[in-house]
Amino acid sequence: MVEEMVRDENVFLMGEEVGEYNGAYKVSEGMLARFGPRRVIDTPISEAGFVGLGIGAAMSGLRPIIELMSWSFSFVAFDQIINNAANIRYMSGGQLAVPIVIRGGNGIAHQLGATHSHRVDALYSRVPGLVVVAPSTPHDAKGLLKSSIRCDDPVVFLESEMMLADKGEVPAGEYLVPIGKADIKRPGDDVTLICWSKMVKLCQTAAMQLAETEGISAEVIDLRTLRPLDEAAPAGSIRKTHRCVIVDEDWPYCGMGAGVMARLYEKVWDELDAPIARVCSEDVPVPYNHFLEQAMQPSVEKVVKAVKEVCYLT
Amino acid sequence: MSLLNEIKAPPKAADPASPELRRLWMMMLIRRFEERTYQEYTRPGQRIGGFCHLYSGEEAVAVGIAAVFQKGKDKLINGYRDHGHSLALGMDPKAAMAELFGRATGCSKGKGGSMHFFHSEVGNMGGHGIVGGQIPLGVGLAFAAWYKATGGVCFNLLGDGAVNQGTHNESLNIASLMKLPCIFIVENNGMAMGTQVARHSAEKDLAQRGCGYAMPTRNVDGNDVDAVIAAVGEAADRARAGNGPGYLVANTYRFRGHSMSDPLKYRTKEETERARQRDPILLYEKRLRARGILDDQALENMQNEINAIVNEAVQFAEHSPHPQLDELYKDVYSGKCF
Repeated sequence: MVEEMVRDENVFLMGEEVGEYNGAYKVSEGMLARFGPRRVIDTPISEAGFVGLGIGAAMSGLRPIIELMSWSFSFVAFDQIINNAANIRYMSGGQLAVPIVIRGGNGIAHQLGATHSHRVDALYSRVPGLVVVAPSTPHDAKGLLKSSIRCDDPVVFLESEMMLADKGEVPAGEYLVPIGKADIKRPGDDVTLICWSKMVKLCQTAAMQLAETEGISAEVIDLRTLRPLDEAAPAGSIRKTHRCVIVDEDWPYCGMGAGVMARLYEKVWDELDAPIARVCSEDVPVPYNHFLEQAMQPSVEKVVKAVKEVCYLT
Repeated sequence: MSLLNEIKAPPKAADPASPELRRLWMMMLIRRFEERTYQEYTRPGQRIGGFCHLYSGEEAVAVGIAAVFQKGKDKLINGYRDHGHSLALGMDPKAAMAELFGRATGCSKGKGGSMHFFHSEVGNMGGHGIVGGQIPLGVGLAFAAWYKATGGVCFNLLGDGAVNQGTHNESLNIASLMKLPCIFIVENNGMAMGTQVARHSAEKDLAQRGCGYAMPTRNVDGNDVDAVIAAVGEAADRARAGNGPGYLVANTYRFRGHSMSDPLKYRTKEETERARQRDPILLYEKRLRARGILDDQALENMQNEINAIVNEAVQFAEHSPHPQLDELYKDVYSGKCF
């Protein structure tokens, strides 16, 4: 964010507690001191108001970064995102662009209960006009955020409170990660694991375990962008492995994984040696209790079990 | 391309010598355009579809705002009753009618329809279909003017029904907190669809609904174009000087139903008759006659010219092509990001 704000005067950051508080999760620490209150702007707790403000500012040619403390709070701004950000280019016959990035924590953090643990991946990925990005590593997060800020379309940028402390190599200097391109996070031959965001680390752990204990070589495909979906990368992998498990923090019914599975079935049905399996969250609200919350989510054990099933090893 | 130039060109005005005649002319054009839209909508073989909200009776508000509007600097954003403001800000009636007909030559290429007229090159940032959904966008347009220090303001229009949406509260508070150059203008036509103000707002005086946000708020006679110009001008001057937003309630009356499907059964004849006495066009006509600016001949000339312009707009619309099917997938994305 800092690099892009230095690069482009039209970029500004707005959201709850981004300024004087230094960010609810310290993401924007030091930015107010560096850029001043004109470009790092604290808002009242009014998501529809300040998300809409960002969209209007983008219609005037600015490039707002709007921080949501949690994507769970985006529901009170849903109309702004779905009806305004996504539609305005189209229904103005291409007269207006909405180059906005809306970013914040998505998904289940830790014991925040049902209202603060929503996964919005599928809700926004089904909307034409929106771009949805969900990075899994510090490297990708920086490169994809820079691409998103420079993008002339509205970007829903999904982060995770649980990944904020992740460490990883980030190259010095300027680089971009392209929107709409998946990444092979671990090559393999026997089964394709499709994942994004927080689930990538979990899949990498499962892949390691599968290699060590079962002798199964799993390829981990990180989608990185959920809309537009890079179909070529997972389809290419499945043409090699002929087996696939989709690992998704979302609910199973009409969730992100369900959508990805439908797309892939249309592409690779004849290549599959087993039906595509999905590991999703359980079909219940997110509970507060630590053990129930763990049981609700995908786990390494659930992924290993699903892989063995598609390999007919159970 | 000639067609494009044609639709972007301003309408030929009847050379109204004075700004007063120009305003009367524009109010008459809007009225004729809307009444013709009514006829086209209800004709057999209907060529205008969807929801269509007419502006007849409210013309003084749009024309009053347009008189204060500084093109190239200011922005205007609106709800779905957007034909009048679009014409008042200089949209070619041909492009407007073609949009209603869903044609490729329409102001939104036939993809917006009645509720989504856009004319961004003059600062008309659109009609918006969800009640109150556009209010935060207007605050954002004002924010951009403040951020870029353009000296422009945003005229943020909403209907009386929209004051009950949550975005109304959030937008007023943020705009005032940040002292943004945003003029909230409530077009109070007395009805949120079919629900009278007395049945939808606990506070009957809608100017009071702008209280509590540390900004000036007032009622204005929305049928009197001069009163609208004075009130909007005052609020705009204040905003341009960096003193923050203002809140105006322009009280007017909707001659037609909420939309084309509304038979107006909730109104009495007497009420409609009373409203007709305060028709903004008649009021202004009388005033200009009294001032000696207008006579029968000038009025007849204007009416003839306007009839011809609206006829021409309908002909243009009916002879314009429908969008090509490949337009379906255009304008969804910029095409530059992936």
